Amino acid sequence: MENFFIGIIALFLGGFISLLIKRQNYKLLFVSFMTFVATCFCLIDTVRVFTSGKLSDMLSFGVMFQNVVFSIDYLSAFFVAVISVMSFLAVVYANGYLKDYISKGKTITAHCFFLPMLIVSMLLVVTIQHALAFLIVWEVMSLSSFFLVIFEHENKDVIKAGIKYLVYMHVSVIFIIVAFVLFSIQTSSFNFAQFADAYSMNSAMANLVFVLAFIGFGIKAGFFPFHNWLPDAHPAAPSHVSAMMSGVMIKTGIYGILRVLTFISHPEVQIGYFVLIISVVSALYGVLYAISQHDIKRLLAYHSIENIGIIGIGIGVGMLGLAYNCPVVAVLGFAGGILHILNHSIFKELLFLAAGSVYTKTHTRDIEILGGLIKPMPKTAILFLVASIAICGLPPFNGFISEFLIYFGMLKGLMIDNILMFVVLILSIAGLALIGTMAILCFTKAFSVVFLGEARSKKASEVREDTTISFIFPMSILALFTLLIGIFPQFVFDFMLKPVSVFVEGCTSDVAQITSLMQIISLSAFALIILVLGLFGFKCLLKNKSEKYVTWGCGYNKPTSRMQYSASSYASPFITMLTPMFKKVVDIKKPKTIFPHDAHYEMRMEDVEEAYFLKPILKSLEAFFVKFEKMQNGNIQQYITYGLVFLALALICVVILG
Amino acid sequence: MDKNIILTLFNTLILLFMPFFVIGIIKKTKAFWAGRKGVSIFQPLFDTVRLFKKDRTISSTTSWVFNFAPVVVFATTLFAGLFVPMANCYSIINVVGAFVIFSYILGLGKFFALISAMDTGSSFEGMGASREACFTTIVEPAFFIILASLIALSGNYTFSSIANIIKSSGTFGILIVIMAVISLFIMLLTECSRVPVDDPTTHLELTMIHEVMILDNSGVDLALITWASGMKMVILMALITNLIIPFGSGLKAGVGLFLLTLILLAVVIGTLESAIARLRMSHVFEFVFVMSSFALIVASLAAVKMYGI
Repeated sequence: MENFFIGIIALFLGGFISLLIKRQNYKLLFVSFMTFVATCFCLIDTVRVFTSGKLSDMLSFGVMFQNVVFSIDYLSAFFVAVISVMSFLAVVYANGYLKDYISKGKTITAHCFFLPMLIVSMLLVVTIQHALAFLIVWEVMSLSSFFLVIFEHENKDVIKAGIKYLVYMHVSVIFIIVAFVLFSIQTSSFNFAQFADAYSMNSAMANLVFVLAFIGFGIKAGFFPFHNWLPDAHPAAPSHVSAMMSGVMIKTGIYGILRVLTFISHPEVQIGYFVLIISVVSALYGVLYAISQHDIKRLLAYHSIENIGIIGIGIGVGMLGLAYNCPVVAVLGFAGGILHILNHSIFKELLFLAAGSVYTKTHTRDIEILGGLIKPMPKTAILFLVASIAICGLPPFNGFISEFLIYFGMLKGLMIDNILMFVVLILSIAGLALIGTMAILCFTKAFSVVFLGEARSKKASEVREDTTISFIFPMSILALFTLLIGIFPQFVFDFMLKPVSVFVEGCTSDVAQITSLMQIISLSAFALIILVLGLFGFKCLLKNKSEKYVTWGCGYNKPTSRMQYSASSYASPFITMLTPMFKKVVDIKKPKTIFPHDAHYEMRMEDVEEAYFLKPILKSLEAFFVKFEKMQNGNIQQYITYGLVFLALALICVVILG
Repeated sequence: MDKNIILTLFNTLILLFMPFFVIGIIKKTKAFWAGRKGVSIFQPLFDTVRLFKKDRTISSTTSWVFNFAPVVVFATTLFAGLFVPMANCYSIINVVGAFVIFSYILGLGKFFALISAMDTGSSFEGMGASREACFTTIVEPAFFIILASLIALSGNYTFSSIANIIKSSGTFGILIVIMAVISLFIMLLTECSRVPVDDPTTHLELTMIHEVMILDNSGVDLALITWASGMKMVILMALITNLIIPFGSGLKAGVGLFLLTLILLAVVIGTLESAIARLRMSHVFEFVFVMSSFALIVASLAAVKMYGI
């Protein structure tokens, strides 16, 4: 554990010392260096855990926190590795991304302080095994990410999104507190080690506690219907922060769910179905709304909901496998889900960073006015393309491996002799296939509208690529990861078995079968790549000439960029098919008079869940609380009276109850 | 020679060269019903050979994606074909969960076909791409429902499991196979852009789906793409064939029967195209959705068969 603590201390030092540094760009450089040191030390401990088993340590802080256990088991080690590496890459990227802001004279002192604080709190969240201390670092995590989100706080929308995020996080923490309180009442302890099997006798309570924890952590993770903060917070935050939040921070919500699951060693069937169904709905909802978005970061944020859903499907299948005593289904489900955590953090971070590179050059997130960027920004384009293919779950990249494991788990689950399971799984398989094809629709749209065709505006036509190392290095590493996991799945699967062993053990024969299947997939991926490259080489060797001419337009030879298919027209057939799923908001100013000027048309799709579920609830709450307005009248004497009355009541309560 | 080697060779040959003949037979059938003599069934092969020799004209808007995509489309279709059971129900790469790998490899090809169409900056090609992407979202889930149900019925995770249904499940099996075949046939018409979903011989860009995506492709690129789409048709035909014909007979009979069914299916498609007109675009969605309904019927029948009523 020492290495891990050294890493934590390095990050703390990075945060505090950066406050003392005067030059803005050195601050960030120093923070990046300290993050690098921390990442190295954390990785040493992760490797130790994976080779020789669980590490743990006990520290005491004052009276409240006696004997707080820090431990890194396989599950925590997996998360520590993901958090440290992904955060480091995002911080490196920040050096390039914030250059423009610094040269415009923006101070980044607070930003440089909260970056390492966020990383520290995430690392502690996944290692602390003490409920109270956990809640404290959880809160630090939410607050530090809040301050990172409101980096551009001059902008009103950013502040609004930040507040929304903060409110959501605090609703989330209420559920988590209730769940933890229920555990600690039962066990009269705050240690996670004692929480295990607290409700093994009482399955109804176990289900209740799990659902409470799932809602609490699910708000952080972004499950439907608690996802609403994501599409607002991500566009508001700077790109590296969105990358960190979407790539890593929301996964701490998944960690929470998984950790609570270890307390309930044998989940009931009902909560398995609950997780599976809510995940399928989340994934479908996320990708559906992603298709309708034109703001690139909003689109990516909705895709985070989709991918969290896919992770949830894996976990749900795993839980059902446990509930029906079918270990191979459980192994496949958990392995797929946990691998998808890693995969999603890789390609989503890559997508956000690539989108950030486009944003720093074009200063717009609206994809409708971009286009043709593949020519001025070839490297960014190819990186974005790799990530797009990976996120659609297509071979030979990493997304395919985790989705395949989940599919295979569901197919194996069909053999469990239970008609309910059969129906739910058949529909989930169809759901996952639908999610995959919708993702293809969405990312062919995003990639081609941003990077292909002709530039749709002056902004997009005057772009030059920034190839400084802080941009290219993190993105290339991430792209390399996506490919490596895709072509060597057998090693990754073996590695995944360790975190999975926290939930389910045994069934070595089935595992051997899956490993050999992974080897075949690996060979197939190689064969496919060789086939494609070989054919391409053959095509290049052909001596046929090629001539350049304008695009075919029924004989019209002067096409303009406005004739291209736009993002909304590309998505239109699909959106039209599912019109009832959206709340269409049209902002229109029709041209008037004979010589019209100043016309305007804007259409956007608003979240149905927000409009028809959340807003009515908030309205009725508001109507209720408005009644108390009279009590707050600014009269200080009256406030003192309230205090006195309250104290008196408290005293009476103590006397009566005590 | 070993039986497997013969079948591997045979399947590869089928995969590579049958596309031309299938399209040739469809054309010949249509000519027959129209009272014409029609072109030779070797004509598609000659056309492709000629395209390989031709020079290309590419749009100045395009990037490397446009140049690269036809290769990916061809390679993925060919590679996906290796997973599919063909004659004698033999698939060259026979693994568990193969249908997922198969679909996702085809998905990679589709991804590149779509972005290559968008790369030209043409509104026609964008339109085709958007329609094609939309139809895929309807077709693919239905395909997964059918295959998952058949796998659950046979208890075998390989692709060739679909062949055993009719043998092992009795009268119920026949019912399931009929439903699955109808569903897969609609998938074939949609994916391979045949009437009534799309008309490959149409002249109007606004009504096309697949053909409009490749308006700007020429020479080698066009050859690869048409070859690949023919190959996709053979692959889907092979799936249907394996569903309806209970193999198990000897090598020669199996191979002969397989070829015969492919030809028969091509004739059926040709006849269908002569008999009906293509649907209006707004009705195409309804037609494609029929596939999902049949897929759900397959799933329900499988559930009834497995668990009783």
